[in-house]
Amino acid sequence: MKTQCASHWLLGVMFILCLVHTHSLRRCLISVDMSLIGKSFQEIKRALQTKDTFQNVTILSTLENLKSIKPVDVCCVTNNLLTFYRDRVFKDHQETSPKALRRISSIANSFLHMQKTLEQCQRHRQCHCSQEATNATRIIHDNYNQLEVSSAAIKSLGELDIFLAWIDTNHWERSAA
Amino acid sequence: MPSRLLPLLLVTFAIPSLGFCAHGTELPSPSSVWFEARFFQHILRWTAITNQSEDTYYEVALKKYGTTVWKDIHSCREARGLSCDVTEFTLDLYRYRYGYRARVRAVENSLYSNWTITETRFTMDEVILTVDAVTLEVTNGCIFGTIHPPRPPITPAGDEYEQIFSNHRIYILSIRKVSEQKNTTELVTQENFTLQVPRGMREFCVKVKPHVESRANKAEWSEEQCLRLTEQYFTATNLSIFFTFVLLLCGALVFLALLCYIRRPGKLPAVLVFEEPHNFFLADPLFPETLDAIHILDLEAFPKVSLELKDSELHGSTDSGFGSGKPSLQTEDSQFFLPGSHPQVQGTLGKEEPPELQNTCGDNTDSGICLQEPSLHSSMGPTWKQQFGYTHQGQDDSDINLVQNSPGQPTYAQDGSALDHVCLPEPRVLEEKDQVLVTFQGYQKQTRWMEETANPEEHLNKESPLTDAFDPKLAVCLQDDLALVKGYVKQESQGMTAAPSVTTSRQWNQLAEEWSLLDTVSCEDLSIESWSFGHKLASLDCGAATGGLLGSLDPTLATLPLISSLQVEE
Repeated sequence: MKTQCASHWLLGVMFILCLVHTHSLRRCLISVDMSLIGKSFQEIKRALQTKDTFQNVTILSTLENLKSIKPVDVCCVTNNLLTFYRDRVFKDHQETSPKALRRISSIANSFLHMQKTLEQCQRHRQCHCSQEATNATRIIHDNYNQLEVSSAAIKSLGELDIFLAWIDTNHWERSAA
Repeated sequence: MPSRLLPLLLVTFAIPSLGFCAHGTELPSPSSVWFEARFFQHILRWTAITNQSEDTYYEVALKKYGTTVWKDIHSCREARGLSCDVTEFTLDLYRYRYGYRARVRAVENSLYSNWTITETRFTMDEVILTVDAVTLEVTNGCIFGTIHPPRPPITPAGDEYEQIFSNHRIYILSIRKVSEQKNTTELVTQENFTLQVPRGMREFCVKVKPHVESRANKAEWSEEQCLRLTEQYFTATNLSIFFTFVLLLCGALVFLALLCYIRRPGKLPAVLVFEEPHNFFLADPLFPETLDAIHILDLEAFPKVSLELKDSELHGSTDSGFGSGKPSLQTEDSQFFLPGSHPQVQGTLGKEEPPELQNTCGDNTDSGICLQEPSLHSSMGPTWKQQFGYTHQGQDDSDINLVQNSPGQPTYAQDGSALDHVCLPEPRVLEEKDQVLVTFQGYQKQTRWMEETANPEEHLNKESPLTDAFDPKLAVCLQDDLALVKGYVKQESQGMTAAPSVTTSRQWNQLAEEWSLLDTVSCEDLSIESWSFGHKLASLDCGAATGGLLGSLDPTLATLPLISSLQVEE
């Protein structure tokens, strides 16, 4: 009797923890105001995309294939992409326009804030990366590597709207659910 | 050898250029191509080329971002315009995040220009948010607004505005007063809202601009929807209050009407209705003969009334007769004088003032007529003298008693009990003054003379005939200027007449005249109680020669008005 009670008690606790884990995962992204990032991008979108001469190639093409990503992978993929933009795109892009430079800096700072929130989730082992999430991130890096660094960077910056839309879609849909 | 390769090289380079020239390099390409899109209304626009002719048309092609195949839009070629609706080719715009690229080139007579590609990727971020319309409705004083999102017919199922932008939809309301340009803005989060119009706005216009908080899409204002507020007077609440008020008012009126009906002054019985005092100077046109004329008596024409008479009849009554507080009336000077008084009468009567009458007026509590004006009686003739010792104290009748001792006339009760009987003097005394009419109006209540006899019952049973006592010499009450006697003289009936003691008809006629003279005496509220002349005539004991006063009583005299007004000025 006591063993059964203990087992039932443990299952209940685990169930509660899973719910909390899922809920906390969503909470990692709620605090970010995506509209401000999108507004900053719209101001430099024309300048960035005009310079993109390689219209047949996309960097973030795998995101289209991640529409049905699992809730547990959202955190990993989001974190990987934020790292990609922080460590490669923003560093490789050489912006000459002050207006564009300010906007890109604003976006970069927002990405850093988002990444810090996700790192807290990783410390609590709430941001586990599955194989699918890892593969999607690797493809993105491969696409970036096929192009010239400046072209790749400019193209990656030009595709920020795709990345932001993806975050917005995965975040609100799952939170509403 | 180089000479042989040179032509080959020239041909090699010339062919592409020829082909290039064949594709309209001469034609300039559109300088700009862009998308102007609204919700499921994707319009590709471009600028015209320079030196455009009628044969110039444009070719349009679309490509999804990240693909390599361009799709020609032939429908745009047939439009021959500078824009083309490519909505049906971009229906997945709101689901495909990468967007589209478009390009346009000019074509003229087999000449093609270069392609001009859109500078940015065409995504849902470039869709301008709009609303179809906004409707306002006034219901019960509240304004209800409804925002209608765009609903293009080409919209695929499941891709409605509310589904595409499922979160963070807000609408900005702009309220503007018609006569002003200043407007106020409000934010609503749903398509159905209640509008709070600021006070003072009777007519205003509202326009709406949609917005999605998580996106940076541009938006456009809708068309203004104006509304005029009218005062709703006839609302259900107002009508109910009005009808309630009307019902309460009617109830109050009915209640007041009932109160007035209940408390209405009752109508007195006819017997209790007192007629208004007649105006002495008003004449009834129908019965002019009943008019009582007031004449100023000539005091000199009247002999002096004895004190007894004065005291007995009009003065010193304990009843509610006239009573004047002036003792002067009881003096010799204040006595009226009857005209042509008999010397015996004069002698009998004397002029001395009976002491009994000196203060009778003052002792009277009734309304006996008591004249105390000495000047009025200064020229009087012989006065009536109270022969017998009788007092009128305590009397409560209103009989007018006259006492006269005349040799030509039977003496009445020599004792005190007979004093209440009065014998009229000879009528010839008043021949000269028969024209003087004395009118009495009202009633004269006189004291009942109390006899100092041992038979007070006899006195009580014997009613003093006021008629026979009402000798014209009672005109002593009258003065020259009609002294006003305050009191009342009550008359019982007008049918009563004086009961003269004369035996002859002539005397009776004269008596009637004398009686009418008395009638002209004006005394306010003069009432003579128990002027039952006829009855008293029966009890009169003035001489059997008269054969009874009643027997010789002229019936016409019964019609003489007894109501007379005695007006004596003090």
